[in-house]
Amino acid sequence: MAKSKQSDSTKAKAALSPTTALAQSQKLTILAQDPTVRVAGKPLTAKIALPAERIEPGPRGYRVSVVDYDTHGGVFYKPRNYEYHEHARQVIDPYEKVSSMRLLNDPAFHAQNVYAIVMSILARFETALGRRVNWGFDGHQLKVVPHAFCDANAFYSREHEALLFGYFPSQQGSGNVFACLSHDVVAHETTHALVDGLRRRYLDPSSPDQAAFHEGFADIVALLSVFSLPETVRQVLPGKKLNGRGRHVLTKAEVSPESFRESVLFGLAKQIGGELSGIRGRPLRRSAELAPSPKYLQELDYEEPHLRGEVFVAAIMNAFLEVWIRRLGAMDAAESGYFDRDRVAEEGSNAAEHLLEIIIRSLDYAPPVHLEFSDFVSAMLTADRELHADDTKYHFRDELRDSFLKYGIPPSSTTNPLEKGIWEPPAPNISDERVHLASLRHDPDEMFRFVWENREALRLHDQAYTRILSVRPCLRIGPAGFTVHETIAEFYQVLQLEARDLLALGIRTPDDMPPGFPIWLRGGGTLVFDERGQLKFSILNRVDHPKRQTDQLKYLWENGYMQQGRDRKSLDLAQLHRARTLGRVHFSPERW
Amino acid sequence: MAARNTMTTLPDKIRLRAYQVGFGDCFLLSFHYSQQIDGRDERHVLIDFGSVSHPSYAPNDLLTQIAEDIKSETHGKLDAVVATHRHRDHIDGFTTNESKTASGDIIRSLKPNLVIQPWTEDPKAKTTATGPTQNLPSKQAFIAALDGMHAVAAQAIILGAELARAAKRRGAAGNGTGLHQDQADSATQLSFLGQNNLANRSAVDNLMTMAPNRYVYFGVDSGLEKLLPGVDVQVLGPPTLDQADQGTQSNIRKQRSRDANEFWQFQADAAPRAVSEKRLLFPRAKTLARVPLSAAWLLRRLRQLSQDQFLSLVRSLDHQMNNTSVILLFTIGKKKLLFPGDAQIENWSYALFDAPAKLRKQIAEDLADVELYKVGHHGSMNATPKTLWNLFKHKGASGEDRLKTVMSTMHGTFGSDDAGTEVPRAKLVKELEAKSNLFTTEQIKAPKLWDDIDL
Repeated sequence: MAKSKQSDSTKAKAALSPTTALAQSQKLTILAQDPTVRVAGKPLTAKIALPAERIEPGPRGYRVSVVDYDTHGGVFYKPRNYEYHEHARQVIDPYEKVSSMRLLNDPAFHAQNVYAIVMSILARFETALGRRVNWGFDGHQLKVVPHAFCDANAFYSREHEALLFGYFPSQQGSGNVFACLSHDVVAHETTHALVDGLRRRYLDPSSPDQAAFHEGFADIVALLSVFSLPETVRQVLPGKKLNGRGRHVLTKAEVSPESFRESVLFGLAKQIGGELSGIRGRPLRRSAELAPSPKYLQELDYEEPHLRGEVFVAAIMNAFLEVWIRRLGAMDAAESGYFDRDRVAEEGSNAAEHLLEIIIRSLDYAPPVHLEFSDFVSAMLTADRELHADDTKYHFRDELRDSFLKYGIPPSSTTNPLEKGIWEPPAPNISDERVHLASLRHDPDEMFRFVWENREALRLHDQAYTRILSVRPCLRIGPAGFTVHETIAEFYQVLQLEARDLLALGIRTPDDMPPGFPIWLRGGGTLVFDERGQLKFSILNRVDHPKRQTDQLKYLWENGYMQQGRDRKSLDLAQLHRARTLGRVHFSPERW
Repeated sequence: MAARNTMTTLPDKIRLRAYQVGFGDCFLLSFHYSQQIDGRDERHVLIDFGSVSHPSYAPNDLLTQIAEDIKSETHGKLDAVVATHRHRDHIDGFTTNESKTASGDIIRSLKPNLVIQPWTEDPKAKTTATGPTQNLPSKQAFIAALDGMHAVAAQAIILGAELARAAKRRGAAGNGTGLHQDQADSATQLSFLGQNNLANRSAVDNLMTMAPNRYVYFGVDSGLEKLLPGVDVQVLGPPTLDQADQGTQSNIRKQRSRDANEFWQFQADAAPRAVSEKRLLFPRAKTLARVPLSAAWLLRRLRQLSQDQFLSLVRSLDHQMNNTSVILLFTIGKKKLLFPGDAQIENWSYALFDAPAKLRKQIAEDLADVELYKVGHHGSMNATPKTLWNLFKHKGASGEDRLKTVMSTMHGTFGSDDAGTEVPRAKLVKELEAKSNLFTTEQIKAPKLWDDIDL
């Protein structure tokens, strides 16, 4: 087997043949679960597939650059060189045969762990969306710092173009707890970076829902990523060997939403909570504890973003459990009366993968500003229907609709006759007469022309400053391999006026807001085009929507986001995570 | 709630002496009677005595001079001391020295009959356990967490000094990048918060031993009724952990308390390490002598980010400590005087939102009648809850009926205008000025060290 150092470009070129297809993926070892979770006394590892590339020391690749600098110790740990398998065009996993206990004390493995998990989450997003996904800053490589500081925190910082992971002394033994070794913490922070790339305005203060969404969405992607690893699910499932032999099985009584809530959700929650609960809260545990109720979101406590986000997570995890159990019901256990545990785990992982794709793809069907949970429910239902019109395998749409409704979150869209909750089709008088279809797929100016010429049909405020935020062509792969071409465009509108002007728009201002107070109203929309350039959906949050803008102004005013002469600051995820750790409660309206 | 005072003689004069301690609190509440009761016609309660930043004109022995004035004003006898919480800007004046001439020695010599402190200061509730807080009863875990904060405060002082030196070096060398000013700001804030949260062993010991102690919480008798004829006192805060855990989402709050306790415990463990040794995480791992060029941009910002993170941590700590403040509501006939220390909304939440409905209604009625309000936490943004403020029915009134507010503060010491966290908060001050007769200690001009408000 020919091997050479990656720096040896001559050998590399010689090995390439114009007729040989390059490998699209390569595998690297990661920790599948928090290091405290042991199977046969060892941490649980997994090899995960990533987009193939030559990896520079760091690891540094085309989208991720790991910087292993510890600000506390003031040291830069020497990165590892990665060998490249010239024939297979893949890097060689340096940790494939290393004892999992040794991994924990090797900073270069920590660096590999974050690199691989970030890349795998990026790949999931790109696969689900059918296109490249940008980070939320002007650059291509996200910097990842696995040992950034001695602190129980981890966060994404747009300003630093980076994910930063802390470490802190263990309370349950000697040594340190490393946030960078927790699969779901890394996945959570990566998701923040990706959502920021896809919906930059979601970090703007807007409503309790939007503030909660970033956190809840990051939680759910992280949790479903963990669930999509069968080895992780298998080890928390109940079950035993029949007569002490053969494969592990579950009884019928053990296969129910209630039983899984107890065994799987609580079981896994205990493992992935561990000592890192200070960083990541307990979203999985909370999702199991939060029995469905429409009352939560009405309570003041639940205006705190992290708590509100947990309601979002609970609604999705409950839908996931229902689907999983439904799929198991389709398995024929009648004869033996038992379920094979490996198959149960596999079904769970498949359902998690499927749901994860729906949820990620939903971002393309969500408005670019002022997101509310109800909008996202319609986005999920639409995203799934566009690719899987036939939902009889999983019934995810039924379960998501029902579950969110039980938590008091109905879909925003109520009038589509085709299916409850999916977005309505656009107005019939949309015109594409003067639009060049080829340009419409990628050119913001062409897209602006479309928006401008259809401003009446789209019911836009024609005095508002309007800007196209993005135009993204994508290619989704549906069941049985058929493809769906779509173009997703986001536009943004701003109206600058004074408080006294709002009444004319039907928007009420808070009682104590001075009449001359400067106001920036923000709105916008997502346009979804089919492969022929026909508009399929126009998902708007209008800049002059009386009720939504009234509610948003009230929220922003009461929570101190609007101050004379200052624009609103983006949400600070570091502070959000700290508030989560310290269990801070929502009393913003009480402040001056 | 509190025991009603059975002594029917009402004071005929009440006076609040506000001392100019800079950034801190020191109030002497005096009751004068038309007749002698048990041989005296006056009673005095000292509410807090501390400072972390003296006014520029203050003499070096400011706190001693104030203590001497208290001695003179009380004619050598204090009835009670209230130390609302353990921040230095509230208790530093109780510090003693070996020659017994410090301000704390003078206060001790006034032989108070009672010292009131929050339940979190009760030495019987403290623990010497070193194990994880999740294995401790919640009360002890909470107190251990508070103790742990001092270690973090000590770290803040050291880091603040390091940062100040570094910022000065960079500024002097003219090679600052704009980051050095941020660094200097961080240094100032870290030093201030660190100093304020650092344990003052001498003051704590003095408070613990100068008189019988009462460690109070919401709803408990203060013990002041027996000392102050005709005066009722209700304790409205701090809530106990059990009380704080009540409310609409008790499980959530319990979990939050546990999470927060664990958090402070490991921060406390991390702090000494951070200060005393720059220990490598991976001693056997190879490190680079020179930072790769590709990382230089990030590294420069990373150091500042790390400092900002620590500053936010220390702010959280400060916040937590403030919320252990004792809140006292004095009732003298129809007059009501409210002294909340530095209590912020989390402390107030039980009295205002979570107490049983009937009790809450009564508290709301009592608070509505407040005629004098000692502005919480030097006028910060979150220590005068709007719900509380809206209850005061004397605000906006005119003449004798108008609400009186008293604020001990010093501009430019704490918080930042840019972040909207300045102390005192401009928006609050505007409201206080518009709807009450506001007295601030900043009105006291040299060479005076105090002013009186007759009630």
